[in-house]
Amino acid sequence: MRQVDTVIIGGGPAGLSAAVRLWEKGIRDILILEREHQLGGILRQCIHDGFGLTRFGETLSGPEYAQRFISQVEALGIPYVTDTTVIDITEDKKVTAASRDGMLEIQAKTVILTMGCRERTRGAISIPGERPAGVYTAGVAQSYINLQNKMVGREVVILGSGDIGMIMARRLTLEGAHVQAVFEVQPYASGLPRNILQCLDDYGIPLYLSHTVTEIRGKDRLESVVVSQVDDRLQPIKGTEKEYFCDTLILSVGLIPENELSLAAGVVLDERTKGAAVDEHHQTSVPGIFAAGNVLQVHDLVDFVSMEAEELADSVAAFLKEGQLNGCGLEVKTDGNVTHTIPQRISGTKDFKLSMRVKRPVKDCRIQLIQGGRVVGEKKMKRAIPAEMIQIPVKAAKLNEKDDLEVKVIC
Amino acid sequence: MLKYFTCIMCPRGCEITAEVEDGKMLSAQGNFCPKGQEYVFQELTSPMRNIASSVLVEGGELPLASVRLNGLIPKNRIFDVMEEIRRVKIKAPVTMGQKVICDVLGLGCDVIATKNVKAAE
Amino acid sequence: MREYDVLVIGAGVVGCAVARELSRYCLRIGVAEKELDVACGNSSRNTGMLHAGFTYKPGSLKAECAVEGNQEFDRVAEELNVPFKRTGKLVVGFTEHDRENILKFKAIGEQNGVKGMRMVTKEEMKEIDEHAGGEFAMYVPSSGILDPMQYTIALAENAAMNGAEFLFGRRVTGIRREGQRYLAETDKEVIASRWVINCAGMYAPEISEMLGYPNYPTKGFKGEYFVLDKKAGKFLGIPVYPAPNDKGGFMTHATPTVDGNVLVGPDSYVTEGREDYAVTKEHMDGLIEDGKKMFDHMDRSYFIRNFAGIRWKRYDPETGEILDFLLEADDAHPCTVNLVGIESPGITCALPLARRAVKKLAEKEDLKPREDFDPRRPGIRRFSEMTPQERAEAVKEDPDYGEIVCRCENVTRAEIRRAIRNPLGVCTVTGIKNRTRATMGRCQGGYCETRITGMIEAELGIAPEEVRYSKEGGYMFTGKVRDGE
Repeated sequence: MRQVDTVIIGGGPAGLSAAVRLWEKGIRDILILEREHQLGGILRQCIHDGFGLTRFGETLSGPEYAQRFISQVEALGIPYVTDTTVIDITEDKKVTAASRDGMLEIQAKTVILTMGCRERTRGAISIPGERPAGVYTAGVAQSYINLQNKMVGREVVILGSGDIGMIMARRLTLEGAHVQAVFEVQPYASGLPRNILQCLDDYGIPLYLSHTVTEIRGKDRLESVVVSQVDDRLQPIKGTEKEYFCDTLILSVGLIPENELSLAAGVVLDERTKGAAVDEHHQTSVPGIFAAGNVLQVHDLVDFVSMEAEELADSVAAFLKEGQLNGCGLEVKTDGNVTHTIPQRISGTKDFKLSMRVKRPVKDCRIQLIQGGRVVGEKKMKRAIPAEMIQIPVKAAKLNEKDDLEVKVIC
Repeated sequence: MLKYFTCIMCPRGCEITAEVEDGKMLSAQGNFCPKGQEYVFQELTSPMRNIASSVLVEGGELPLASVRLNGLIPKNRIFDVMEEIRRVKIKAPVTMGQKVICDVLGLGCDVIATKNVKAAE
Repeated sequence: MREYDVLVIGAGVVGCAVARELSRYCLRIGVAEKELDVACGNSSRNTGMLHAGFTYKPGSLKAECAVEGNQEFDRVAEELNVPFKRTGKLVVGFTEHDRENILKFKAIGEQNGVKGMRMVTKEEMKEIDEHAGGEFAMYVPSSGILDPMQYTIALAENAAMNGAEFLFGRRVTGIRREGQRYLAETDKEVIASRWVINCAGMYAPEISEMLGYPNYPTKGFKGEYFVLDKKAGKFLGIPVYPAPNDKGGFMTHATPTVDGNVLVGPDSYVTEGREDYAVTKEHMDGLIEDGKKMFDHMDRSYFIRNFAGIRWKRYDPETGEILDFLLEADDAHPCTVNLVGIESPGITCALPLARRAVKKLAEKEDLKPREDFDPRRPGIRRFSEMTPQERAEAVKEDPDYGEIVCRCENVTRAEIRRAIRNPLGVCTVTGIKNRTRATMGRCQGGYCETRITGMIEAELGIAPEEVRYSKEGGYMFTGKVRDGE
């Protein structure tokens, strides 16, 4: 069986960033396994611009952002294989993959999980009604339009104000479709404010908050959707139903980390992120298995995915050199205003960056990190919204090694 | 008169409140960086945008090459530029950064490919 | 004009079973189906149970066929390569009233010839399935679970292999007698046949009337379901049903599928619409509430899909009484067999009913057995079910077996390609799904659907706008984003 120091599962932004950084750290026995024919992951279909401002100081399209890393991987000669799908990982880090050249078995010393995420579907949110053609998740529509040259429809309604949904509203409009409206069940948008402006407002597409699709109609192809207003428990309000005639419904109702392989390897997941629970080294509950990017937590910006993966690479390099990393016995706890944090466990002896999101929009708040009653980190924010991932750097010098860390949003 | 803006210069998306008189900005607040003021000024005079789309590729391993503009165009010319993009057909191989339309409609920027597309085997 | 010896109307499980049993003989067989594939109606919209037959009235056709169909199914599944597990079933009770009802149905079962049923204690129950709730239970070892879509497809494919022709997208709109044959008008063409067999399921009363039989009144009992992720499947080993009510009906329950998912449902309510398959918020909410009572893991994070099915039962309009399956061949309407009111347990009864239908033909004319009849249908080998060794060999033999197209269900390009080239000529996205399980996982095609549609276009040489999701008007694409012209 082939032996490798590090197997990276997924050649998207997280995997590529981790690979380049590992190489720079002197780790050479790397293998990236990518299921697609090309490296780049989901960025290949994200042709809009706005990527890279944080990481590269300029604004790029998705394919260009990915190419920066692909070019580095190729220039450095980092080994990768495409058209290869990992189908199993064991707890002792044996990786099984399928490709046209045969079944591949690899024994790795470390495994980096960078499989990204998948979209929530109609079934996951149980939209009532019939089952015609013409109901697509935003990412599927994006793939059809941007990669496969196929137009999915003409009269469009969008459910969910996720960033991809809004970006697809603009994309469909530019290609001649008529986007009637975007409906969001929450009382606030789930995507970034600038996308509301440049993808919806610019094109006169209305965004209705506290609305959802309550029925899908059409036996063959979609004929119409019924939209209702919802109350503060997100339940449809009787009497507010309105029918929109359309041939296409695009769903942008959330992303879920893709963790089937993580589960196969025995990695413990966090109920809140649906991704692996990790420590400050980005190490999962299985020693030697690490995770970064959207497989760990759904990010708002790819720049943060790259940066997270680069931090992970530092830990992997250390693990390979020292055989283990120091234990992280302290828990990161959250109050009711925080959806989740990464990491979930820390040691109290190492600098780290805490990533988190707020549960609902808040104005003029302070996010406090408290350990043993002392504030060890703080961020003041004029506005914090669920659409935005918030990062707070924490210095080891301020931490102790015995108390759990609490994260609080103080309004 | 107070006007409200969402800055699109970066993902932060600052909410800017500007005092405007006769279409001119007197002051602005809420922006995190100076780009916010520039943005409001631009929005008041002539809003500018970038767009991304695709052009048809002949003989490539992919049917489309993604494109964007290497500068901004007036918002009200977006659909005119889309018409131009729709008409273009290029031959593989396509190199990222390759100019697909030079100085599109005389607006001072080019349509560039944002993806490498190899020739089909 | 197409001419057949026998025209079967409807390609549900009964129509396909009839076609398959007829294909044992030297007959020209046609099957007219209004949809683009088999099993588009209630044959695919059910729990996938191989019923034992303990709730049906002794002496009824239902009871007779259910027991017969149940007992032979190991051989049938093997012959036709249909995913099937004889899991057994627990019918659990809590109260003395439950016990009385269970015992009542145990007695009925025994009378019907159901073998091996026995009462078990709580301890024995836990040994059979650790997750089963309840104080006591009846264990029915002959119950099983199967993939009803694969079963119907397998029957049809086997019939097709043995010469039957499937005509999809043909809705029969009228039938007239002309000389010694029938002319069936469809929305596309007129089909001539000496015999007509009505297997039209929910539309059987309409076809019945076209043949000169009464337009039997039927009533639709609709039930909705949740499909749960395979992750929930590990908490449910065998079907565990609550004690039946006084009429023999079961409340909402959880059933494992043969592929490892869990179905929660069906509930039951009356509907007017023949094909009213829409799922409703009211009933989904009800299923969530009732489902939790029977299955601890009825959790939102496991929901992957909803569907509904309708049992169209024949009833007596005067008394309201639900009537037995009807299988008749009246000399007043020569060369016809009329099957009406075939609902649950139609899957279990399909082949026994088919044999009885064929017998009606055999009573009127000599049927000559086909010498080259092959009862076996090979089906598509599934990568997901292979051992590591078999996988390695399969990829070596056909590299397409090394290309995973559907990640959730581990379906390879080889399987999709074979499904697109299926013996029935079905090419809808749903058809590929039902043949391979691609898109049936938790991402519901988020990864593989774009690949499958691309493969359909490439394999069949069709344009994007010609791809169909499942129905004739169900186009997937309006055209290309950029056209060369």
